[in-house]
This record gives sequence, C-alpha cells and structure tokens, in this order.
Amino acid sequence: MPPLSLNRRSFLAGTSFLLASTAMPTISFAQEAKQGGRLIVAADSEPRNLNPAIVASNGVFFIASKVIEPLAEASFEGRDGLAPRLATSWEGSDDGLSVTFKLREGVKWHDGLPFTSADVAFSALQVWKPLQNLGRTIFKDLESVETPDATTAILKFAKPTPFQLIRNALPVVSSVVPKHIYETGDIANNPANVQLIGTGPFKFAEYKPGEYYRLARNDDYWGENAPHLDEIIYRVLPDRGAAASALEAEEIQLAAFSMVPLADLDRISKVEGIEVISKGYEALTYQLVVEINHRRKELADVKVRQAIAHAIDRDFVVKTIFLGYAEAATGPVPKNDPQFYTADVPTYAFDVAKANALLDEAGYAKGADGTRFSLKLLPAPYFNETRQFGDYLRQALAAVGIKAELVNNDAAAHQKAVYTDHAFDLAIAPPVFRGDPAISTTILVQSGIPDGVPFSNQGGYKNAELDALIDKAASELDEAKRTALYKDFQKLVATDLPLINVAEWGFITVSRSSVKNVSNNPRWAVSNWADTWVEA
Amino acid sequence: MTLLRTPTALLGFAILFALALVALLAPLLFPADPLSIAGPALLRPFQDASLPLGTDRLGRDVLAELVHGARTSLLVGLAAAATSIIIGSVVGTLAGFLGGILDEVLMRVTDAFQTVPGFLLALAFVSVVGPSLPVVVFAIALGAWTGPARVARAEVLSIRERDYVAGARAIGMHPLKIAFREVLPNALPPVLALSSVIVAAAVLTEAALSFLGLGDPNRITWGGMIAEGRTILRFAPYLSIIPGIALVLTVLGVYLAGEGVVEASAARKVRA
Repeated sequence: MPPLSLNRRSFLAGTSFLLASTAMPTISFAQEAKQGGRLIVAADSEPRNLNPAIVASNGVFFIASKVIEPLAEASFEGRDGLAPRLATSWEGSDDGLSVTFKLREGVKWHDGLPFTSADVAFSALQVWKPLQNLGRTIFKDLESVETPDATTAILKFAKPTPFQLIRNALPVVSSVVPKHIYETGDIANNPANVQLIGTGPFKFAEYKPGEYYRLARNDDYWGENAPHLDEIIYRVLPDRGAAASALEAEEIQLAAFSMVPLADLDRISKVEGIEVISKGYEALTYQLVVEINHRRKELADVKVRQAIAHAIDRDFVVKTIFLGYAEAATGPVPKNDPQFYTADVPTYAFDVAKANALLDEAGYAKGADGTRFSLKLLPAPYFNETRQFGDYLRQALAAVGIKAELVNNDAAAHQKAVYTDHAFDLAIAPPVFRGDPAISTTILVQSGIPDGVPFSNQGGYKNAELDALIDKAASELDEAKRTALYKDFQKLVATDLPLINVAEWGFITVSRSSVKNVSNNPRWAVSNWADTWVEA
Repeated sequence: MTLLRTPTALLGFAILFALALVALLAPLLFPADPLSIAGPALLRPFQDASLPLGTDRLGRDVLAELVHGARTSLLVGLAAAATSIIIGSVVGTLAGFLGGILDEVLMRVTDAFQTVPGFLLALAFVSVVGPSLPVVVFAIALGAWTGPARVARAEVLSIRERDYVAGARAIGMHPLKIAFREVLPNALPPVLALSSVIVAAAVLTEAALSFLGLGDPNRITWGGMIAEGRTILRFAPYLSIIPGIALVLTVLGVYLAGEGVVEASAARKVRA
C-alpha cells in the first residue's frame, strides 16, 4: 500500500518534534496541538476538474478547499456566521451596488508569487461569474472589480444585489485562483485545474488515479502555527462498505460525507478509538425532495400533490431510511438554518385516508384493480438513501392507488432524463441548501430556467406570484425585509407544492479519536483543515 | 425412468421442481406486493412467525421477496436460454446449410461476439438501453447465442450431406424450407443439451446485473436483494446470505439436472 510508505522522513521529524515538545512543561489544560504527522482520509470520488472556483461542489471542495481558499469561511462563532480567510473584512454599500473586501496582507501563492487584489478581480470576473455553477446566478450583475491597491477589491454591480446574499455565499463561491497561472490560455482546460495552485495551508503534491491524492504542508502559510499536519492523503475507496473496515483496521483515520453506511454507525460507534460525529455539516444541509413534472395533467392539480404529500410518512423516512440521522422537512428551507427558516407553513401529516379523499375529490377514482393512475418515478442514484426512498415512495403511492414505476439510471442518464429530457413524472432529488435561498433553492421552483440546468425547476412549474416573490427578494437590500420575503416564499411553496420537501439531513463523519479539531465549523469537511492535528 | 437413475440428477430435478412450484405458487403464497412494507425494518430471521426470514432495510418480508425473486430468476433464465437457442440455431443453420460467403460472414460475427465476455456485453447493452425485464433477457441472450450457433452449424454441416436432404433438393424444395423443415429439427438435440448451462449462466448473469443496479427495479430479484444487503453486510448479513443460498441452489439444481439429461442420453446411445 503506497500511501503509508510515502514520507518516512517527515514522520520521524514529527515524532522527534513531539519528543521535544513533551519535554517542555505546559500549563494549559487544553491539549496542545501536535505538530506534524499524516492524516489519511477516505475519498469516494475523483472529480475530473478539481478547481473549486469553477466547480463549486462538495466533492471538489473536499479535496480542493485545503489548497485553494475562499475569501471567508463559515464559522459557528463568527459574526454573520463567517470567519475571515483571504479577506479580513467585507462591507456592502447601502445602494447594494458595491461590496468592498479588505484582503489579507503577506499571503503567497504556492509558487511563491504574492497574492493581490488583482487575483480576486480576475477570479470574480473571469471565473466565478462566467464559469462557476453557482457564481453564474449570484454574480450575474457583477460589472467590474476595482482594485485601488493590492489589498482592496471592490465588487461593482450593475443592479442592486443584496449584501446578505453575497455574504452568505462567500464560503461557497469565492475560491480565489491565481491570475498569473490562469490569464493565458483556456481557463476550463488549464492544467492547474488538476494540479491545483492556491494559497491554502496545503499544497497539491500528487495524484495517482484510482489510488490517492497527496497534499503536503505549505510552510509559507499565512496562518500562525498552521497547518499542524505534514500531509493529508485521500485514499480513493469507491466502495462505501470498505470505509468502515478501513477505519477499524486503522488504514484510514477519517471518513466524511457518510461514507460509512448509516446502518453501520451504531456498531462502529462502539468500537474503541472510533467516534461518530454528526456535527460539521450545518452549512451544507441536503434536502430530500420529490420533484414533480407539472406537465402531467394529474400532477398539475394541487390536490393530487397534496395527496402525495399526505401519503408520505416522514417519520418512517427519518427513522427507517435515515435511521434517525435526519429531520422531517416542512418546506424549502431546512430547520437548522438560523436566518430564514419559518415553521409557520402548511404541513402535511401522514394520513392515507385524507390522501385518498383528496384524490377522489380531484376526480381520479380508483379503477377495478385499485389503481387511479400510473407514474414514472426516477430516484436520483447519488445516495443509498435517495434510492431507498424511491423504493419506499413506490409503496406509499401504491397505498393511495397511484401505481409508480421505478426507473433506475446512472448519474449521467438520470440528469439527462430529468433535467434535459423531462422524461419523468416524479423524481427524487437531493438538492443542497447553502445558507441562503437565493444560492441554490429558489431555482428549484422558479420558472423560465433553460433546459438542462441540473437541480433546477425542470418540471414545467410556473407560478407568477412565486416568480414575482423570488424576483423581489433577489433585489431587496434590506435584510429584515429580505428575510421576511423568504418566509413568504416558504409559505407559498409549502401551500402550492411545486415540489415536496420530505426530509433534510447532514452527513456523518466517522473518525479515529486521535484526529483532533474535527467538525469545528459548519462546513468542516470542505474547509481548510489548517487546525486539524493527529495525536501520536 | 433413466433420467432419474443417478442420485445427483434426482437431486437436481427435485430442486428444480421445488423451485418451479414455489415460483408458480408465489402469487398464492404471498398475494401482497412483495415490495410492500410488512413489518419493522431489519427484523432478524426466525424471530417472528409471520415473518420467518425477517425483514430488510425498509421492513419488507424477506421470504416473500425470496419467493417472488424465484419467479424473476427462473423467468429470466428460461427466457434468456430460449432466446439464445433460437438465435443461435437459426444463425448456425443458415451458416452451415447455405455455406459460402454467408457462412464466413455469420461465423466471423459469431467470433466477434464470442471474443467479448458475455457479461460485459450484457452490462453495456442494459446500461445503454435501460433496465427492464425484456431488455435484461435480450442482453443475456446477446452473450449466450454463440455456443448454440457453433453447435448447430457443426450438426448441420454433417446433416446436409445426408441422403434425405439430397432427396429434398431433388424434388425442388426451397433451400430455406429444407434448412428449417428438414435439417434444423435433426440438429437440435445437441443444441438443446447446452440449455442447462445457458439457463444456469443466465440466472447468474441476471443476478450480477441486478447486483450492479441494472436489474428491473420494479421486480424483486435475488441479485438486487444481495446488492441491497451488501451495504449493511456487517450489520445484517442474512439479507445477502439468504438470496445467495437461493441462487446457489438454483444454479446447482439446473446444472445437476442438465448433467442428468446428458448422462441419460449418453446411456441411451450406448444401449442403442
């Protein structure tokens, strides 16, 4: 197994440092962070493009966030839920037309050149706005970036853009890439999209397809006494069942993103030296959603949609499919969101009799075989839980006389079927709530989105009132008013059910107890791990 | 009966008979949809008399799934074997009887199919066309027809020189009519002897496809059951072991019965 024989010298160096440090008297009660050492974690995918400025997705962030940093990171304690990274302060103008970032001084790229406001301007205008999956919407009105000096970047917008939205989006959309590397040639095909160059605590050292990624300590990192680790190895373990055994055998020290199957957690939590942690995913809550194709005349009837909502036993979904590691959802914003969530929405209790009554009322009586009508149901293949919910939903619908035929596809075929070809009646999707409804949530119900945009409203739903509300909130500058508009948004979505929110879940990290400072921010798995260390 | 003379053949037929019976009676034994939720999730086997083999991740009755799974497995096995024997014998007969360039072309096509592992062929086909029962059957047949084609061709080559074929030609019968009326029926017995091997392989291929998530999701299949259980193998191994045993027994039964048939026909030949 190559990863373990990689760097014996630095391992020895680390141990001798430890010997030296234990010889020194310490008075603090908190455990002193050990310098050096290697962290081996499980990776379940190998993204083709690792550039987080272009592909803002968790699979990419999991590796790239250690190398390429955003302007600010999510934080449990920080003001507005943020902690500074490449920016030290940020301020929005009252007219919503500009946002000023003060940048950190003395930061160097991994190739030794200094990081300046020109890099931020380049990233924003050449990468985030035109190329990034999320940046395309958030920065759509970004016009220019002024750089009066090397540590100030002022984003100028053509139309008023709520500062609250920019702020909430910072951890996800603001990964800064070096201008001097990307300014020549095609950005999308730059070799640095794989061989990353950033400012982060770790440098991208090596990638062996199918085996591992290796990140090595950045000795010139701006953070004080950081990072602690000498290197991070991502061992590619595409088989989810293998992560648990690898943890027990101490071949890996950490498995994030629920790589250990939920059914295994109870058992593995009892193994000595292994901890099961459900914290650290608060800013990336996944939602279990039933997408509806409103082109089907039955599904265009709100009574039918309400009946489906009543037919789903959310309690069963949470307890049996998610084994308790989830919450029943009430609407399009998850309960754990501190800014926008409201419980004041219509809810749909599990009630088969009511569902049947609603369907009768809608004029779809049961036929001789007990079936009212048939549907095509496409569960997203990304998670065990989405597939299992597909199996469950089929049965839940059968109980109210709707015959659902499951169609299983691989990831690419599923995306094409649902988001490009619209060849579905119901689909099960796991969209992510990213701290602000305008980032990736309103797009799920808004009309007028071109075909082929994944995780968007491709069900042909059109509601002028809802569209107007979304537009209004998108340009509302007053935070209190904007938040209130999104509460109305939740109410309207829960009333008209353009889609059905079933449950919301965060992932589970399973780690050896020797790994310290795990899950200490709301996006931990996709943050920079500068303060993470490993006990000898 | 000569067929049942050897104990292994007897065992094979007994297993097959039991399986067929279970498969046929499945709708009577378990009239409810086998995919419906019948009890608490992950109930272990032999705990509850009404759910003797326990329940799976969603609380579905494992015994009902197993019994309904037998239907799918046998159906796919038999249908795939029938399809591949039909395709194979037609291709083989045409190639052997007509000869010449057509023979060359058909046999090179057969070679081409034979060089690709049957399972990969099925995998590729199903992932392109999309999983449903007829597609799975055809995909399996796609990799299995080459054996029957070769055997049929070899038989036809020897049969077409016989006198009665020459006779048929002499009275002016259409060559295709001769091929399929006169030659093929006589070439079939050795081809049919391949069927047990094909059925056993088809059952396994179907299970493997379902295991990889390429089975028909609206039907219970043993491969699908094993795949579902795999993620929680450490926690609930019975979910994979029970359908695994069923699969082993089925393939064993088909194989033993097939052996019995071959031995019996060999014995008949020796006596004759």
